[in-house]
Amino acid sequence: MGRLFPVILLGVGALTLPYSVQRVFLDTPIERTMGTVQKIFYFHVPLAWIMMLLAVVCGVAAGIQIRTRSERAEATAIAAAELVLVAGLGVLLTGPIWGHATWGKAWTWDARQVTTGLLWLVFASYVLVRHFGAAGSERLAAALAIFGAVNVPIIYYAVKIWKTTHPDNNVVGSLPPQMWASLWPALGGLLAMTLGLLWARIRLERAEIALDEAWVGVEDAPQEA
Amino acid sequence: MQLFEDFEPEGADAAGAAGEQAPALGGGEYEPVEGRDRQSIECQRACESVAAKKTASDYSHIVWAYGIIWALFCGYGILMWRRAQRLAADVEALRRRIDNGK
Repeated sequence: MGRLFPVILLGVGALTLPYSVQRVFLDTPIERTMGTVQKIFYFHVPLAWIMMLLAVVCGVAAGIQIRTRSERAEATAIAAAELVLVAGLGVLLTGPIWGHATWGKAWTWDARQVTTGLLWLVFASYVLVRHFGAAGSERLAAALAIFGAVNVPIIYYAVKIWKTTHPDNNVVGSLPPQMWASLWPALGGLLAMTLGLLWARIRLERAEIALDEAWVGVEDAPQEA
Repeated sequence: MQLFEDFEPEGADAAGAAGEQAPALGGGEYEPVEGRDRQSIECQRACESVAAKKTASDYSHIVWAYGIIWALFCGYGILMWRRAQRLAADVEALRRRIDNGK
């Protein structure tokens, strides 16, 4: 089941995403003020939600890893952090493309953009520390992951706390039904794809950890004459 | 966000009402054709040109945005596949090492 689950999730994602693209472009009416470019919304916003979800997953897993030394939590934290970078880069690139078309400026330094950029940098630091850090650096990395997770509510409430060019959080709740009907498949497809990749990456990381331990065991074993 | 199809431009109702009030002409009656003036036509063409440019620009932005998302996921998938290949090679090396050590 462990091997099959990511394949099922990736399969669901591979089927749902083309369907959602078809829905977005052929079945969803054009938004009144922004025009056709608003269709970026259907992938930009779900990707941002997924990025925030994975940041929380990474922070929690890193906290568990520090307390319990769990190899499963360690693998989950590393996998989630890498996917935060993938989803975050998607958000940070598609957002300015959308902004360039609607606001006339790709980057306005508004609070949500800056806090999202900071989140990405924090998780980039986490991945670098995990990859190149010396023995014992996992505690520093875990602290970074927890800081990153704490940044998530700040991103969410940034539009309420500060004056921003980003619209209010309520804009998603006030979508017309046709737009909701296209947002769900996009969210479902991206979520299935991301969870499938997360699951596969966790398995890979656990296999790497086990292999490292096996190498250490072989190196330490007394050589037979 | 509001759908474009729900949007009613100002004066649309008045124009619709005027259309409804127009007398129906019979098949054989002469109906003079009133062409639009050049200024109105040029104004309409200018609007169409602006709309066409906006749509083309929107499509270009959308292609970039969607292309980036697919490329990122595909890139990550390829990285994972390469990592799995390296892991398999490492497992094979370990197996050889254990076999040679016996």
